[in-house]
Amino acid sequence: MSRIILIGSPNSGKSLLFNRLTGLSQKVANFPGITVDVGSGKLQALPHKVLVDFPGTYSLQAISAEEEVAVDYFERALEDPEVEQVLCVIDATRLEKSLLFTLQVIRDCERNGKKITVLANMMDVLENHGLSLDVEGLSAALHTRVLPISARSGKGIAEVIDELAAPLDEPREPRAHLVDTPDVILRGEAHKLAHRYGPEGDVLVRSQNRLDSFFLHSFTGGISFFLIMYLLFQSIFTMAAPVMDAVEGSLALMANALVPLLGNQIVKDFTSDALFGGIGAFLVFVPQIFVLTFVIGLLEDSGYMARAALICHKPLRLFGLTGKSFIPMLSGVACAIPAIYAARAIDSPRKRLLTYIAIPLMPCSARLPVYTLLIAAFIPAGTAFGGLVGWQGLAMFGIYFFGMTMGLLVTGLISRISKDRYTDVPFVLELPPYRLPGLKPIVRNAWNRSKHFVTKAGKIIFTVTVLIWVLGYFPNYGADLGQSWLGHLGHVIEPVFSPLGLDWRYGVAIFTSFAAREVFVGTLGTIFGIEGADDNLVPLVEHIQGSDLALGSGLALLVFFAISLQCVSTLAILAKESASRSLTLKMFLGYFSLAYVAALLVYQVTGLIVG
Amino acid sequence: MAVNLSLWSLKAGDRCEILGYDDALAEKYKIRLMEFGFHPGECVICLQSPSFGAPKVYQVSNTVFSLDDEVATHVSVRLSAANE
Repeated sequence: MSRIILIGSPNSGKSLLFNRLTGLSQKVANFPGITVDVGSGKLQALPHKVLVDFPGTYSLQAISAEEEVAVDYFERALEDPEVEQVLCVIDATRLEKSLLFTLQVIRDCERNGKKITVLANMMDVLENHGLSLDVEGLSAALHTRVLPISARSGKGIAEVIDELAAPLDEPREPRAHLVDTPDVILRGEAHKLAHRYGPEGDVLVRSQNRLDSFFLHSFTGGISFFLIMYLLFQSIFTMAAPVMDAVEGSLALMANALVPLLGNQIVKDFTSDALFGGIGAFLVFVPQIFVLTFVIGLLEDSGYMARAALICHKPLRLFGLTGKSFIPMLSGVACAIPAIYAARAIDSPRKRLLTYIAIPLMPCSARLPVYTLLIAAFIPAGTAFGGLVGWQGLAMFGIYFFGMTMGLLVTGLISRISKDRYTDVPFVLELPPYRLPGLKPIVRNAWNRSKHFVTKAGKIIFTVTVLIWVLGYFPNYGADLGQSWLGHLGHVIEPVFSPLGLDWRYGVAIFTSFAAREVFVGTLGTIFGIEGADDNLVPLVEHIQGSDLALGSGLALLVFFAISLQCVSTLAILAKESASRSLTLKMFLGYFSLAYVAALLVYQVTGLIVG
Repeated sequence: MAVNLSLWSLKAGDRCEILGYDDALAEKYKIRLMEFGFHPGECVICLQSPSFGAPKVYQVSNTVFSLDDEVATHVSVRLSAANE
């Protein structure tokens, strides 16, 4: 099947065009080792041809290892006999930005004898502002067919299809003046052509600047930023929470309907707890991933995301991060998994890595049940300052603040000690024009991201959940967790946790919380023989308060959970996104060690103070 | 009289002409800036200069970019006559 490469610079409307030509039937694959998608799909009008959507890039002269991989991939694709032609999309409203890249692509196509067509996109925007592009002049100057189009309205798409359907020219000798031109000459050429054939005046920039005066203003910009981020964060809970409940409810309903039909008790228990529990452990995250990807897509498409990155850049730079780290870190307060996906938007490999490192320390919602249990058990319910400040609320705020601060401190430290280890790119951010987002591609992208999570991370999460179930179920068939392999394991690891004042039961609960942090509460409930501890914490809180567990141990557990990377889903997706199992392992061990040392310190200091 | 400054020192509304880059800026970054249109001789307008040292916003040709001080201080410019 013949293939057509679609390529263009960022913000040129390439993805919208891809979706229009393929009818949204995109298949997404990752470059090995980097977080750039290559989509492909059959052309709707010419189903025997496949359109391959390459990542947007500003130049074929790479400045980072990641860009190098993408550029190499493109250059190798040009040598592939199955690739018959190339479509290069340019933003007609900002010609100079696209033209150098276009000239480089034309040169490489000429070298490889591939046909190329340049698509001048966003002609509708030009027309709406009374501007024009000299398409014929540009076409003559580039020695390449240029077609004016609007991917948004569909204008000119029929001509693109005709061009793709037309028979290819006979192979000919490459034109020497196009093949041998170095980049330095192309840069000057792009500049000249943009001035000669591009739209006159800067009416578009002026209208963009009026909105920037509001969104980047010290006061109105700050207010709107906090409002938008608040809405983003709320959307994760208000939009995703009911669907998450529905997923959990449906799985429980299915389990209740299916399990009684099974004969063997082991099969029944396996189906109910491991199978449905294992599937539930990762399916429950899908609504959050979908909603967050959707909302971030809206922000990106509208042009606001670039402004948000600009606003946050300066304070985050102090910790080795970039403004683009803010959205992933904020998302991490809800759940680390969509947050790790969101970090794809960070173009600097070094800063993306540091963002990965910061995300697991953001106080995600899975920590909330653990914090609630421990705070209720160890912090008095009283108030201070005439009832204005509740001690438990203050403790909750404190532990959230502690997590976020630790995230920044750890990245700041790693950034300083690994200054030259990873490729960095400078903060030069294109501010795209404000636009009304197109919903279909955003929904499609959110769907693809959710599917990626289920197919890639789901297997790992399911396997670990089943493994923990087997350890807890055998050899006494779930009769007594204390006598199970997991219970024995708890006794084996008891010496690890006893310096924190914790016995084997807490060791087991910490071990099972590796599947998901909130499992800590349910496991303690099971061990202490308290039914339904997940839904009603009071009996479990009273049991812990009645036990001889010291205040120092309770605070140590709080600190341990604030730092430790106890989440197999996060680890699975981290390994996939970073394409590095070694990084994932280092992070798991590093955070476990840090959490342990910090918890030990808290236990000892509390012991000294309280006595 | 024309004043030579760095791109970072511009205030919102200032127009300037790019003179070149200093040696502290890595070659690959110079090239990327030139690919974006920041050529010597090109006119640049500072559109926004947000508070608290946040990256500034510049217009070059018909495109808008934001640069932080780590980059913009290495671009030498001459204020255009209109600002003087």
